[in-house]
Amino acid sequence: MNAQLQLWLGQLRRLPLVVFVILYTAVTGGPLLWVAMMSLRTTAEIFKNPYGFPSPAHWEKFADAWTKSNYSTYFWNSTIVVVIAVVLVTVIGAMAAHCLARYNFRGNRVVRFLILSGLVLPPQLLILALFQILLDLNLYNTLPGLVLVYVATHIAMTVYILEGFFAQIPQDLFDAARMDGYSDFEIFWRVTMPIGAPAIFTTVTLNFIILWNEFLFAVILLTDDDKRTLPLGIMHFTGSHQLDVGMAATGLMIAIVPIVAIYALFSETMIKGMTAGAVR
Amino acid sequence: MAVITVDKLCKRYAGATAPAVHDVSFTVVDREFMVLLGPSGCGKSTVLRMIAGLEPITSGTVSIDGQVVNQVPAKLRDIAMVFQSYALYPHMTVHDNLAFGLRRRRVEQTEIDRRVHAAAKKLGLAQLLKRKPHALSGGQRQRVALGRAIVRDPKVFLFDEPLSNLDAALRVTTRNELIKQQHDIGTTSIYVTHDQVEAMTMGHNICIMNEGEVVQMGRPLDVYRNPANTFVAKFLGNPPMNLLQGRLEAQDGHPVIRVAGSDVALPKRTAAALGRHVGHDVIVGVRPEDLYEIAPSGASAQIARLSVRIVAVESLGAETLLVMALDASNQELIARIGRNTAVRSGDRLDIAVDTAAIHLFDPASTTAIVQAPQNN
Repeated sequence: MNAQLQLWLGQLRRLPLVVFVILYTAVTGGPLLWVAMMSLRTTAEIFKNPYGFPSPAHWEKFADAWTKSNYSTYFWNSTIVVVIAVVLVTVIGAMAAHCLARYNFRGNRVVRFLILSGLVLPPQLLILALFQILLDLNLYNTLPGLVLVYVATHIAMTVYILEGFFAQIPQDLFDAARMDGYSDFEIFWRVTMPIGAPAIFTTVTLNFIILWNEFLFAVILLTDDDKRTLPLGIMHFTGSHQLDVGMAATGLMIAIVPIVAIYALFSETMIKGMTAGAVR
Repeated sequence: MAVITVDKLCKRYAGATAPAVHDVSFTVVDREFMVLLGPSGCGKSTVLRMIAGLEPITSGTVSIDGQVVNQVPAKLRDIAMVFQSYALYPHMTVHDNLAFGLRRRRVEQTEIDRRVHAAAKKLGLAQLLKRKPHALSGGQRQRVALGRAIVRDPKVFLFDEPLSNLDAALRVTTRNELIKQQHDIGTTSIYVTHDQVEAMTMGHNICIMNEGEVVQMGRPLDVYRNPANTFVAKFLGNPPMNLLQGRLEAQDGHPVIRVAGSDVALPKRTAAALGRHVGHDVIVGVRPEDLYEIAPSGASAQIARLSVRIVAVESLGAETLLVMALDASNQELIARIGRNTAVRSGDRLDIAVDTAAIHLFDPASTTAIVQAPQNN
């Protein structure tokens, strides 16, 4: 009897946590479920009953979105821009972080301060200047222009995360590699990068998610419909010219597939990278 | 075949007031195992890193086989180094850790495999080649670090406190293993440690450093028996040498030291060296093993006695340490005596001193005035 009472009390103590988790799941998962249901309904059905179940489910909307509503173009534009930007920002950011963490060169602190000050700059502040610079370089309304902007604006966070991790890798490993005959550049590729893999995965995942959803720079720096990225493409269906909520919802479901896939693949490594130190 | 010569080596870090290493010179002959010994922060690891090419040299030269290598990059010096932290690459297997240096040197794959397996067999790592470092014990990691140096077959081995991360029992077995390996391979080696037992047992020669300078060099037992100054006297030996305040006098032409109210007559053969110190204060050094509860038979002519009060009796099993205070001056000293003693804390005793084993140091310069004769 006593043991049962203790068990019951133990469960009672966990009640607030359970209530919180249920509420949190409802708040975050609810809208997702709602959009998922809307993605299988037509706009007319949605206007008639916004919270209705998809009955019948219009699975053909996904094919229509891909073929008729230009989502395939938006999807590939997003993929090209984000993949190239993430690769560049990771390689350049890792090299910068390696140098800042490992070499005690003159001006080290100034360079670190300048790079990391990018963390506190609000993106709105950059828009006018970026617009003018890209116009001057003939990169306005081009995908390479957007890639460059993405790389420049995400270097700071990448360097910040990677430098913290790289600085924890013991100096002896680098000295041992030097004694083994490796050059500084080879040491970066063969020691820093493999040991720093958890932190690299973290920055790749974070940058991918942030850039995949990026809207502000894309909406200002791209104008042609065939150059739009996914967030712009989705907005296109809820803009001033047309209001197709059903197709916007279908587009949203297509847009989140890569994010969910990336998170499912790398979430464990990412959490490890954010919480654990370098392997000794 | 490799001879390492270090000549007037100096290292000064930017912004530091004192040099980390100052005017260090020594030679390590072919196949010699030299130990650099000193307390933490004395500059011994910096000397090793300068020899390895990992640290720029402020002034002086490092030569290998007569060739100055100051400007030669680390990878071209043909030196292998074992680090205190082992520095094993955590993302590679034991096999790849051992092969990493050979791959860079474009050694053929079959030769790499042959050398890796030979080293693994020699060090008892054959079963562990596919494991990663995190799945190894401390001793196994240490052996992989040693193996990584061995497979390269370098001219010179450098060891930077390689045993300090091991527990006490493992340290003893690994130490013996290292001695055996060095004996078999015979590569010229420099070994840095702050552990005097390692220095005494492993080195053909030891070089004691303090505050960036070489204090004394020589064979381990010679240095132990004839410390050049009070620093070496205190640093070598556990418990360290007892250092007491005394005054050198002459009685009937014979040197006598007055320590805490007692007169200790010194052997005649040391008299000549003491001439100019008569009438001055001296530091009297006596090793704990040269103090006796019962004077050894047959040596009565060289025995003096000091009145002491026992402060503590530390029974270590194989031997007993007596912590004592001199009656007259309250200076403390320690004696290492046999395990079968009836002495208790608080007892009074006339402790016997072997006067032939007494060391005298100049209080101003702390250097040895006269060294105790070697009793081989």
